[in-house]
Amino acid sequence: MAVKFSKTFLLRKLHQITGIVPLGMFFFVHMFTNSKAMNGEASFNKAVKEIHDIPFLLLIEIFGIFVPLIFHSVYGILISAEAKPNAINYGYGRNWFYMLQRATGIFLFFFILFHVLNLRFGLIPYLNMTPVAGNADKAFAIVSAEFQITWVMALYILGILATAWHLAYGFFLFAVDWGIVIGEKAQKATLAACLGLAAMLSFVGINAAFSFVRPCGLMPKFICEETKKPAPAGAAKF
Amino acid sequence: MTTNAHIEKKRLETPPATIKFKIQRREKEGAPAHWETFELQYRRNLNVISALMEIRKDPVTIEGKQTTPPVWDMSCLEQVCGICTMVIDGKVRQSCSALIDDLLLASNSDTVTLAPMSKFPNVRDLKVDRSKMFDHLKQVEAWVELDGSYDLGPGPHISNEVAQERYAFSRCMTCGCCLEACPQYGDDNYIGPQAIAQARLFNMHPTGKMTAEDRINGLLGDDGITNCGNAQNCIQVCPMGIPLTKAIYETNRDITVNALFGWLKK
Repeated sequence: MAVKFSKTFLLRKLHQITGIVPLGMFFFVHMFTNSKAMNGEASFNKAVKEIHDIPFLLLIEIFGIFVPLIFHSVYGILISAEAKPNAINYGYGRNWFYMLQRATGIFLFFFILFHVLNLRFGLIPYLNMTPVAGNADKAFAIVSAEFQITWVMALYILGILATAWHLAYGFFLFAVDWGIVIGEKAQKATLAACLGLAAMLSFVGINAAFSFVRPCGLMPKFICEETKKPAPAGAAKF
Repeated sequence: MTTNAHIEKKRLETPPATIKFKIQRREKEGAPAHWETFELQYRRNLNVISALMEIRKDPVTIEGKQTTPPVWDMSCLEQVCGICTMVIDGKVRQSCSALIDDLLLASNSDTVTLAPMSKFPNVRDLKVDRSKMFDHLKQVEAWVELDGSYDLGPGPHISNEVAQERYAFSRCMTCGCCLEACPQYGDDNYIGPQAIAQARLFNMHPTGKMTAEDRINGLLGDDGITNCGNAQNCIQVCPMGIPLTKAIYETNRDITVNALFGWLKK
């Protein structure tokens, strides 16, 4: 097919794919790492240390996270600026989701900026001033101190909810925009799966956040490792 | 709608003695818009057009001011031509099939608000210029080439399944509801579902398929299909029940497979 792609077409496709592949993937890994705080300080700090030991970390951070993140958020705000929301007169579910995707996107632009400066770089005055990056041994203590402040904790919970929704609904949008899901029945099933994913990611994320202020987060303590009794010496058979 | 929905329809049991019509007026394109309210005696089986015709006979506002008769477009009066489309109580629809009883029941008031579609140039009062939609049809080459310098012979057969689906798309009457309700459409930055569905209609035609590329190219521009925001209002407001989102997503698949990843076949 001799097709002519316009700039807008290519930028939109890039916007859709960056949201899923580097950023979506990163969010899953991020929540996985955070959840290690359920098992206590040592477990979380060890996980942070392991991230520090990833080869080519700086390149991965720049080209796998920061560049796609800046592109996705700046272009996303430009897309949002084109919207003429009308959910008051046309209050259909998908129309509200359309608005919510833009609203969470704009909120996340500011939240992620705050989050990165607050913890990755330690640059927000009157809050934490020690970057987590490079201080793996202090990682848990830094986050734990921040999350003792009620409004910071509330802000992070909002951030997790917004990200979980934006990503999960983003999967649905990706599926229809790339022609993977077409018919109405398939759309319904995909949307249900995405709502389930949003709920799961929200729970995992919020539970991980609470793990920094309470052992094992919101889960009963017996499922977390640190509370288990160490095996008696000499009991191992091999 | 089920076939006997009209039997189960709710009736306005205690109608008001009079009904008010709040109408957006504009003298000509570019002139400022203002609102005028008219009052009519209630009677059974009024629709928006019969009410407008009643107002036109003696255009005096509720304040007693003599004014010009309101202008609107109408033709078929049976919801198949699409020309009488306007925004009624905040929602876009055909005024010929908008029954006053239903509107009063839905809004639980004695007032009906009428405004022209906002996404098209407003010629006067409730009349708009919808020629932009015909430009969109030209942009996607929404036709099938039939004539040649020689006899092209009979075309290939179409399976019943494809014919059924094409029939749904062929019911488009270019009314503009989908574009008016679309939160992405406006300022010429998005071609909108109407033209995408017509491109799909002709891309599904066995003869039209041969020039599918030209139609796809018409949808890949800066104002193309990629500006769809998936709010899906189009499928909700379409008076002909056209599967517009299916047309958009089928075309997306076409573009992904044949255009975006087309280079992998080379």
